[in-house]
Amino acid sequence: MLIDLHPANRILDETLRERFNGSAEKLVMKVADFDGVSYKLSTPESKTVLHISMSIACYSQLREYGAEDVLKREYGDLVESSPEDGFDVTLRIDLENLPEDKESLIRKISYLKRNALAAPFERAFKSQLEGNESELMTIQYRPDEAFYIKAQHDRVTVIFSTVFSEETDRIFGKVFLQEFVDARRSPATQNAPQVLYSAREPPMELRGIPGVHESENIGYVTFVLFPRHFTGPAAEGCISRIQLFRDYLHYHIKASKAYMHSRLRVRVDSFLKVLNRAKPENPDAQKEKKTARFVSLSVLAIALFCLGFVHELTLVRSSCQWKNIQAIMI
Amino acid sequence: MKRTACCDVLQLQAQPAIPPFSSSTIIRQAPTPPPTTEKNDPPAPTRSHGPRTRTHIMSNTLRPYLSAVRSTVTAALCLENFSSQVVERHNKPEIEARATPEVLLTPVTISRNENERVLIEASVNSIRVSISIKQADEIERILCHKFTRFLMMRAENFFILRRKPVPGYDISFLITNTHTETMYKHKLVDFVIQFMEEVDKEISEMKLCLNARARIVAESFLQQF
Amino acid sequence: MTHAPAVVIDNGTGYTKMGYAGNNDPQFIIPTCLATRESQTTGNVASKRGIEDLDYYIGDEALANSKTYGISYPIRHGTVENWDHMEKFHQAAIFHHLRCEPEDHHFLLTEPPLNPPENREYTAEIFFESFGAKGMYIAVQAVLALAASWANGKTEQTLTGTVIDSGDGVTHVIPVAEGYVIDSAIKHIPIAGRDITQFVQQLLRERENSIPPEDSLEVAKRIKEMYSYVCPDIVKEFKKYETEGDKWFKRHEFIHSVTKKAYSVDVGFERFLGPEIFFNPEIASPDFLTPLPEVVDQVIQGCPIDTRRGLYKNIVLSGGSTMYKDFGKRLQRDIKTMVVARLRHYESVAQANLHKDQQIQAKNIEVNVVSHKKQRYAVWFGGSLLADTAEFNSCYHTKAQYEEHGPSIARFNKVFASIQ
Repeated sequence: MLIDLHPANRILDETLRERFNGSAEKLVMKVADFDGVSYKLSTPESKTVLHISMSIACYSQLREYGAEDVLKREYGDLVESSPEDGFDVTLRIDLENLPEDKESLIRKISYLKRNALAAPFERAFKSQLEGNESELMTIQYRPDEAFYIKAQHDRVTVIFSTVFSEETDRIFGKVFLQEFVDARRSPATQNAPQVLYSAREPPMELRGIPGVHESENIGYVTFVLFPRHFTGPAAEGCISRIQLFRDYLHYHIKASKAYMHSRLRVRVDSFLKVLNRAKPENPDAQKEKKTARFVSLSVLAIALFCLGFVHELTLVRSSCQWKNIQAIMI
Repeated sequence: MKRTACCDVLQLQAQPAIPPFSSSTIIRQAPTPPPTTEKNDPPAPTRSHGPRTRTHIMSNTLRPYLSAVRSTVTAALCLENFSSQVVERHNKPEIEARATPEVLLTPVTISRNENERVLIEASVNSIRVSISIKQADEIERILCHKFTRFLMMRAENFFILRRKPVPGYDISFLITNTHTETMYKHKLVDFVIQFMEEVDKEISEMKLCLNARARIVAESFLQQF
Repeated sequence: MTHAPAVVIDNGTGYTKMGYAGNNDPQFIIPTCLATRESQTTGNVASKRGIEDLDYYIGDEALANSKTYGISYPIRHGTVENWDHMEKFHQAAIFHHLRCEPEDHHFLLTEPPLNPPENREYTAEIFFESFGAKGMYIAVQAVLALAASWANGKTEQTLTGTVIDSGDGVTHVIPVAEGYVIDSAIKHIPIAGRDITQFVQQLLRERENSIPPEDSLEVAKRIKEMYSYVCPDIVKEFKKYETEGDKWFKRHEFIHSVTKKAYSVDVGFERFLGPEIFFNPEIASPDFLTPLPEVVDQVIQGCPIDTRRGLYKNIVLSGGSTMYKDFGKRLQRDIKTMVVARLRHYESVAQANLHKDQQIQAKNIEVNVVSHKKQRYAVWFGGSLLADTAEFNSCYHTKAQYEEHGPSIARFNKVFASIQ
C-alpha cells in the first residue's frame, strides 16, 4: 500500500547501494527531495571518495537549534567541517574504508534530511522531559510555510502553518484536516496526539511571533504531544512522521484528486454509453441494406415490366400491322 | 417569410406569451405540476418578458421535476432545418446565433428549488438545455466544478454537450436538428434525464468518498504514534 | 526553492526513465508497469469507499508482487492506453521515487511521434489538475534524441536530423527539420532488440547444447549485450572465424538460475549475426526484407527536398539496440554507397542532356551517422540537457496558463529552435 511516505530518500539509498557494492566510478549527481531540499553527490577528490552534500532552506535556524550536534552524533567523522559551496552539510565517505555494516550506513545517510530536521524536535523533547519550558522554535522549511515547536511543562506543541495554492486543494485540505481533528474518536487512535486545526487565526502560542499572520488561505495545525509520544524509542518514529506531515497531507490530497479522475473516467464512459444508445445502430449499414434491396427490387420490377411491355408491344404492333394491312387492303 | 410575419402578429396580439408555433406544444405539455405541489405554486406568471419560473419547494420533488423536464424537452425537440436569414447558404443554430428573433421561443425555466433548475431555450432548429446542479457546500461546489469541467473537456465525444455552460448554469447541452435527424429523439431526452439523475448521485458519492478517504488517511497517520 | 531542478520523465513502452534535469543518467530506470489488485480493474470504481486505489506498486516492486497482484502495462507501442494507470504510475513515481512536491518543480515529459494531441491534453490534465505541477512541457522523443547528440561535442547544435530510435519492441526512423517532426515520412521497422535476442537464441539452440532451456532467453540476452558487434562484411567475417577461431570465439561462464551450477557457453558467429539482421533482415525473418540503411534512405527521400541534405548530414542513433560496436560506421557506409550511386546516376543522366561546355558537377552529399556515449538513454539525456538550461524555463506551460486557457495549451509547443 502506498499510503505512507518514507522518511528515507530513495535516490540516495539506491545510488549508495550501487556505489558501495560496485566499482568506483566518477559521479556528479544533483537531486531534490521534498520541501526544497537538494542533494549533490560527487567525487571531486578521487573516484573512491564520495561527497554527499545537502542544502536545506532553513539550515540557519536548524543550526541554532542544535542540528550540528545531531548530525555529529549520527554521522560522526563523516561530517566535513566546512560544507561544499552552496550547501549546508557535506558528508565525506571513503569508499575504500567502508564499515562492515554497509546497510546501516546507507540507511543513515538516506535519512540525512530527516536527521537535520530532527534537531529542534529533540531539543524540545529533551527540555520537556527535564521539566523545562523552551523557547518557541521557528523552522521556516518552505518559503511560505513554517512549523513551530515549543516545549511546555506538560507537553510539546508542534504547529504547522499550511498554505494551499489552489482552491481545490484548500477545500480538500480542509476536509482532510477536519478528519485529523476528529480521528481521535476512533479507538485505534486513542493514543495519538491531539490535533487542532484553525483556519485563518493563529493559535494562542503563536500570537505576536514575527511572520505569523492571519489570512484567508492560511491554516494552522497543532499537534499536542505528551511525554508518552516521545519517551524512549517512540521519539524517533514520532519525529520522522511529524516532519513529513505536510508532504503526507499534500500527497493524499493529490492522490484523492487522481482518484476522482479515475472515477470521472468511469462515469464519462457510462454517460457515453447512454448517449450512444441514441444513435441508430450503424445507420450507414442499414441505409445500404435498404438501397441494395431497393435496387434489386426495382431491377426486378423493371425487368418484369419490360418483359410485359415487350409482350404488349408485339401485340400492339401486330394489331397495328393488322390495321395497316386492312387499310392497304381497303 | 409568411411564418415570421405570423409570429410577430401572434406575439403582438397574445400578450401573455402565446409563443409562436411549436412552442405552443410546450405550454400544453410542459410543467404539469404534481397535485401536491399545486398549493405552493404561485399562479402561472403571465409575464411576457423573461423566463417563466415555477418553484417547487419540496424535498421529494425529484420525480415530478424530472418528468417536467422530460416532457418539456421532448416538446421542444421539434426541430427542422432552417437556413440562416442573415448569411446566405449558412445554417446556424439559431438559439446560439440569435440573429433572427422571430424563430426564438420564450425560454422556460423549470426549478426544483433555488439551486436546482433547468433552463430550456428553444428555437426553430436548435434547443439549449442548461442545468444548474445542486451544490450544498463548498466541497460539492468544487466537485461539481471538477465534474462538469472534466465532461466538457471531452465534449467532442458528447456530441450534444456545449463546451461552456450558459452563464448562471453549470452545464449546457445544445441539440440541433442534425442531432435529432441522426439520433433517436427519445433517447436523447433519456440521456439528458439520466445525466441529471446521476450527476447528483455521483457528486454526493464523491463527497462521501472524499470524507472516507480523509478519515482513513488521518487515522493511518495518527495510528502509528 | 527557486533552484528546484526540473523533473524529466521519459515513459517508454518497456521502461520509464526518470530523474532530475542536469544529471547525466536517469536516477530511475524502472519497467513501466503497474501491479494492482485484480478486482479493481474489473470491478466498478463507484462502489469503492476508501483508499483501495492506493494498493498498488510500480516498476520493479510491481514485478516482485506479481503473484498476488495483476500486472498491467499502461503504455502500448509508445502511446498511453490506460490513463487511470498512467496517472497512478506518475503519482507513485513523483512522490515515492523522486520524492518531490510537484508544486515546486517543472516537468519535462516525452511523447512518441504521431501521438494524438488529445493525449497531450490528458497528460496536461493529470499534471495540472491532479498534481498541481508548477509547469510542464511535452517534448517529442526524437527531438530530444537530437539534442542529446550535442553532447558529442563534434556536431554542431542543430535540430535538423534523422533519428533512428531502436528500443526493445520497434525501431523508428524519424526525420526532424528544425525541431519539427516530418510526420508523413516516418517509417517503422519491426526489427528491434527483442528480435535480435530471439535470433541469437535460435542460433545458440542450433549449436550449443549446454544451455538449459529455461535459461536460454536470458543467456541470449547476455550474449547479445556483452559480445555483439557489427561487421563490415559477413562473408569475410565468417572466414576470419574459421581461420583464426581462438581469437574470435569467446567462452562465457553462466550460472544456472535454478540449480546454481556453473556452465560455459561458446560464443561464436552470433556475435556479429545478431545485429546483422538490421542490415540483412532476410536471415531472420521472412516478413520484413528492407535493410535499415535502405529504410533510412527512403525516409529521407520522402522528405521535402530542401531538408534532405541536413537529414543526411545528421543521422542520430538512440536507444539500446543501436549500441552495438561499429553499428554507426556500417550504417554510414551503406547509406553513403546508396546516396553516391544515386547522385552519380543523376549526374550522368543530366550530363547526357547537356552540351560539352555546359557540364555541371553535383555537389557531394555529406552522410554522417552520429554515435555518442549517451545513446542508450538518449531521449532522457536530451531532456535533462535541455531542461537544465535557463532559457528553457520560459518554454514550460505554466499552471497559470493552464487555468487561463485549459488543457489545449499542451497542443502547442513553443518553438524549440529558439533555445539553441
